[in-house]
Amino acid sequence: MLQTTNQTHNQNFIRNLKDKVAKYGVTTGGIMVLVALLLIFFYLLYVVQPIFDDVSIDHKLDISITMPENTLALGLDDHVETAFRLTKDAKLEFYTLVGANAGSLVKTFDITGGDQISSFAKSMVHLNQYAYVTDKNQLIIAEPKFKLGFANNQRQISPQINYPLTNQGIFLNSDSVISKLAFAFTEQGGGVIYQNEQGHIRFVRLDAEVNFMTDETEWVQTQINLPAVSGQVDYLLMTADISRAFVVQNGQLFVFNTRDPENVSLVSKGQVVDYDKQVTATSLLGGANSIMIADSSGEISQWFEVNGEKGRRFEKIRSFKSKQAVTDLYPEYFRRSFVATSENGELGVYYTTSQATLFNGEITKGKIATMSVAPRADAYILQANKTVQVFDVHNEHPEVTWSALWNEVWYEGYSEPDYVWQSTSASDDFESKFSLVPITFGTIKAAFYAMLFSVPIALSAAIYTAYFMPAKIRTLVKPTVEIMEALPTVILGFLAGLWLAPLIETHLAALLVLVFGLPVCILLVAYIWHSLPISIKNRLPVGWDSLILIPVIILLAWGCIAMSPWLNDMFFDGDVRLFITDELGISFDQRNSLVVGIAMGFAVIPTIFSIAEDAVFSVPKHLSQGSLALGASQWQTLVRVVLLTASPGIFSAVMMGLGRAVGETMIVLMATGNTPIMDWSIFQGMRTLSANIAVEMPESEVGSTHYRILFLAAFVLFVFTFVFNTIAEFVRQRLRDKYSSL
Amino acid sequence: MISLSPEVTKLHNAISPNELSAEQTALEMRDLNLFYGDKQALYNIDMKIPKGKVTAFIGPSGCGKSTLLRCINRMNDLVDICQVKGEILLEGKNIYDKDIDVANLRQNVGMVFQRPNPFPKSIYENVVYGLRIQGIKDKRKLDEVVETSLRKAALWDEVKDRLNDSAFGLSGGQQQRLVIARAIAIEPKVLLLDEPTSALDPISTLTIEELINDLKETYTVVIVTHNMQQAARVSNYAAFMFMGELIEYSDTNQLFTTPAKKKTEDYITGRYG
Repeated sequence: MLQTTNQTHNQNFIRNLKDKVAKYGVTTGGIMVLVALLLIFFYLLYVVQPIFDDVSIDHKLDISITMPENTLALGLDDHVETAFRLTKDAKLEFYTLVGANAGSLVKTFDITGGDQISSFAKSMVHLNQYAYVTDKNQLIIAEPKFKLGFANNQRQISPQINYPLTNQGIFLNSDSVISKLAFAFTEQGGGVIYQNEQGHIRFVRLDAEVNFMTDETEWVQTQINLPAVSGQVDYLLMTADISRAFVVQNGQLFVFNTRDPENVSLVSKGQVVDYDKQVTATSLLGGANSIMIADSSGEISQWFEVNGEKGRRFEKIRSFKSKQAVTDLYPEYFRRSFVATSENGELGVYYTTSQATLFNGEITKGKIATMSVAPRADAYILQANKTVQVFDVHNEHPEVTWSALWNEVWYEGYSEPDYVWQSTSASDDFESKFSLVPITFGTIKAAFYAMLFSVPIALSAAIYTAYFMPAKIRTLVKPTVEIMEALPTVILGFLAGLWLAPLIETHLAALLVLVFGLPVCILLVAYIWHSLPISIKNRLPVGWDSLILIPVIILLAWGCIAMSPWLNDMFFDGDVRLFITDELGISFDQRNSLVVGIAMGFAVIPTIFSIAEDAVFSVPKHLSQGSLALGASQWQTLVRVVLLTASPGIFSAVMMGLGRAVGETMIVLMATGNTPIMDWSIFQGMRTLSANIAVEMPESEVGSTHYRILFLAAFVLFVFTFVFNTIAEFVRQRLRDKYSSL
Repeated sequence: MISLSPEVTKLHNAISPNELSAEQTALEMRDLNLFYGDKQALYNIDMKIPKGKVTAFIGPSGCGKSTLLRCINRMNDLVDICQVKGEILLEGKNIYDKDIDVANLRQNVGMVFQRPNPFPKSIYENVVYGLRIQGIKDKRKLDEVVETSLRKAALWDEVKDRLNDSAFGLSGGQQQRLVIARAIAIEPKVLLLDEPTSALDPISTLTIEELINDLKETYTVVIVTHNMQQAARVSNYAAFMFMGELIEYSDTNQLFTTPAKKKTEDYITGRYG
């Protein structure tokens, strides 16, 4: 008796233990899934978040200088360890910003050897060159250089000066003292545009000629008077590639084509500010395609050349508003960002493409006399109140704003605002174009065509299998279709890209015939079979008659393909592709939406089929029998009772398919051209969010804007599927409450 | 021997089912044999089912009573391997003739199943389903049919205020009456009831039984039941089936009080089944 009780006690204990373990195990597992999902969500947000950070500008240190009124220009090296100053007496001074002597003068170079300076000019900021012209019209170009050395395993920067035109400079053949100057200089040659005290405005082209005897470089000058402009000019600018020269005079902008020094021509001329305002500052933007013009009302406008209906012309693209009149504009090295200083010492940081005002405020007391942006835009150096100050700047992702990601943006060189995804290019001054619209569009388009192909086939197959097919064949067919789901999508993508795409291209006409011929043919065969005598029909077991369609379909497909050359000749002048592009004017991509629709549809069919088949099959037999017993036909029963009852399941099936199509990567990666274009045409490719991430993630620099935007794309994809599933679940619940049987 | 209620005694009908005249006969089965593949399920069934009466099929599970019932509206056609030999005459016409439209037949021979099977639609749409199938769209006609059918099925008072609610909101007994209303909405000649109360509670069962009693005024009712008391209570005639054969068929009173066959007596006294 006692033993039995003990035993029962033990059993009870084990039973309770199992119960507890199972309970907590299941709960833990469930919570872990939710936590993992949340972690993914928050990690994506964590990586994305910095692109929406505000700009911060913090004072770092002061530099002690003598004679602050002599300052012409300031600058910083790549690492913000050395600063330099160019002065009116043609000296280049270097100051160290690190170590115990931070802020003190370390080296001085005398550029002109004491000659009087008549004018001074800065090159485009990324070239980092400065030109002095003496009163004897000697042009000397100075380039501050920073030589990297390693001593005692420590990086040491030793400041140097480089004279691209030798330290003597070259003599500019001007009939009087040069008063205003703009220049650009590369190893291939240089361009100078100047105005002298006589009022002449001239363009000088400098070409290097190597003397083969002495191996010395001689500079050959080609000088030409600029046409169409005379009188005192306000501003002169020269692009880095010496293809354009800009002259601003009385609120008018003159643009000259200086590519050919023998034939400098006026490209464009026009008023750029209102007549009651004056131009207060001009600057070329990094990349040199845009000119920024600030006026006395504080408006800063961006202008670039647009290839519009009236040919190429300079147009005002967008403008920014500063509270005060702008005193000067300082562009960044490579990005389309610039800093505007105003009368009372306020400073505004703007990004042109995204039309964003990143910062606007006072960072120092007093008027900013001059300033400069560090090469990596991570520091500013400025002179205000007779002191030179260095500021730390955090402005890593100015190009991204919510509106730039989702709205049309007018990029340089584009004839109109557009949605563009173009993340990288070989060139340095390239501007990344991050619009998520084309790739989101691509995702939707790919999913749309995949669903267009798969939903009718999968649902008809599911309904037929569940409702009409004899049980014996069903047990064969269902697992077979479900096995299709296990097919790696990379294989489907590979086949689609390398086999299906060329096949469709050559046999487009056959495909067209097939699309219309197949239903007709199937109906025809069904009718013939129906009218055959019973004795023949009875030779096949009940239900197996649908199998006769298999040879019919194969035969038809083969027939169409065999016929396609003839069809091509008859209707499409021999080549469908040419016919489409030339006659119909539709552009044709070999890897197009049709291929993706078929390949991805193929991948999605098993998902939809399996769930929808289950849903239809699990409609209780007593419902369909009830309908049949009321005199309904099989078809009426199917449409009015079975599909209605199965509708939540069928809806889930379609949504699951859609979810899969949206997230699918390998097929769209391999079977489309990955062209981020916005075009619904079935003969065009697309780029989807998922494929975009797969393609670009390996080549994006960790922490860069591009990297973070890819994470944002992943986040959008995540939200996409999340929203789809939530809506699907919601609708499904509603349908189930309404239609599901007991 | 089970005791019979006075009601049954009252229902006692003198005419033996096999002596029914042609006018009194709703259905006649002649030498009916049914096979599931190689297995025979019904053997040589010969019987006449009287018009405007309730006929009950009783017998142990698997005796073929439901199968026989399903022959009458050809629901067995849905089973691929099922083959029927012999004739069933409905108003003198063999329903297994080639020129018979099955859908049309089923409109004349309604059926109610064991489990209530309302469609996932409103009460209203459930009742008019059979009419909509026939393509009737006249709203007035439909409204009228809904009311009369529900009244006949003794459900009108309970649901008249919520005709557009889902049929799933009804109780099991109400659902079964709704299904009966749905069946009689298309005015069949014969109503087949396949164990209509086996899934219901006693009170709902009683309501349905009363309903059956009312229905026989208008329709010929054939009911399959496991419950012998029920057969005794509601039917005028009863047929006892065993192993696919029709053992005994007579008026209910006689079958339950003085069965002619040993097997019948064994069954109704509860020796097997």
